[in-house]
Amino acid sequence: MTREEIIAAINSTFIEQFEISEDKLTPDKQIFNDLGLDSLDIVDLMVGLQRRFGISLRENEEIRKVVTLGDVYEFFVRLEAKRNKPKT
Amino acid sequence: MEKRRVVITGSGLTSSLGLDVGVFYDRLEAGNSAVRLMDGWSDKLKINRIAAPVVLPEGLEKTIPRTFRRSMGRMSIYSALAAEKALHASGLTREFTASGRCACVIGSTMGSGESIMEASRIVILNDSENMPALQFFKCASHSAAFNTANFLGLTGCVLAPAAACASGLQAIGLGRDLIQSGAQDAAICGGAEEVTPEVTASFELMFAAARGFSGPPEYSSRPFAADRVGLVCGEGAGLVVLEEYEHAVKRGANIYGEIIGYATCGCGSHVSQSDHRSIVRCMDLAFRDAAVSPAQTDYISAHATATLHGDAEEAMAIREFFGSGTPVSSLKGHLGHTLGASGAIELIASLEMMRRDRLLPTLNLEHIADDCAGLDHVRSVREQKISIFVKNCFAFGGINATLICRRV
Repeated sequence: MTREEIIAAINSTFIEQFEISEDKLTPDKQIFNDLGLDSLDIVDLMVGLQRRFGISLRENEEIRKVVTLGDVYEFFVRLEAKRNKPKT
Repeated sequence: MEKRRVVITGSGLTSSLGLDVGVFYDRLEAGNSAVRLMDGWSDKLKINRIAAPVVLPEGLEKTIPRTFRRSMGRMSIYSALAAEKALHASGLTREFTASGRCACVIGSTMGSGESIMEASRIVILNDSENMPALQFFKCASHSAAFNTANFLGLTGCVLAPAAACASGLQAIGLGRDLIQSGAQDAAICGGAEEVTPEVTASFELMFAAARGFSGPPEYSSRPFAADRVGLVCGEGAGLVVLEEYEHAVKRGANIYGEIIGYATCGCGSHVSQSDHRSIVRCMDLAFRDAAVSPAQTDYISAHATATLHGDAEEAMAIREFFGSGTPVSSLKGHLGHTLGASGAIELIASLEMMRRDRLLPTLNLEHIADDCAGLDHVRSVREQKISIFVKNCFAFGGINATLICRRV
């Protein structure tokens, strides 16, 4: 997936699951304070992202540290890069 | 000490025959039935695919903010929408409902059946990691009650009697008790239910669901009829606002009626077979509570779901307790059996009959069964003043409930 495709997939999750309009989805937005999600929503966000990206996130420590939407983008961009890294 | 009087000052519903009490009543009076073929139910289920579903207009459920809606199954959405209308009709202020003096008592057979099935499928597929965080809140037995209370900002007692088909009436009786005792000054009470193929299948397993009727679906629910074949499941929510009489009078509230008697009891013997002796006992307890005589009753809103055994036992109990002169009808032909919501939805219909001085008939009652005869069956719309009426509900588990209302 390209960076743009990853961002579009994450944005779709926020739009479909949390009914947030697309124009509010900018990287600087804080997930709790600006986008209005709470701790229960974070569980559902992880479920939605797991399904969309086909990975397990429950035991992932790094995803728990995200604060902004940009952090979520970067987490998945890094993950995708790791996936595509040629095995030596 | 004199008991505090309890009156009804608001009502609202989400029903298969409309979302507005006036429209709902007009459709009942027009003889409409909401029972239809459920195209969305798989024919692999090998059940009779008929039910009386609620159809919500596109976008209506999204009027409930997502933070409240996310924990709601279909049943809670019906309940929240109905409660919002009931509260609006009552004119009670947000300030009062947030004072801790207004309860929320809403019963249902169980939590959202659809959500319970979804959760089961996720577990069976060993996919628990993908269980939504709010799934439990949709499945819990008190789902309709707490979801509705939170949506409306109600901070008094939140209770959820679960007594199958008597749940809604028990909720109203419980609300009455809370106000009568002084524990609360008002209560939003009623029942909510959602129809699923799994629930229909459960009734079919027990030979209680309508099967073998060859006519169109809208004729298949036939209470008290000689050719009745069993019940048809329905869904919806009915909510009423109960209020202490002086409190209602002081603020100039519109009073729909007064709850003057209520009783609930168990039969103490069988989980699924109603028995007329315990039904009589329940009605007797309610009339003793009301301190009026059965002869003063102008109308009986029967439970009568169109099962072979249940209708006969109820008819026998009514004959024994009231004789043959009190008008009786059942609304299950119009609405199917809305289970835990039925007591509340049919109470709202009865209040509207009392307001309009009209009795609604039992639908699809062309030939009265011999075992249901000897009663004054209402078979067409009848002009009649109602001063006192009775609402009956009888439930799996051997539970009976009777509520008596009086015009104020």
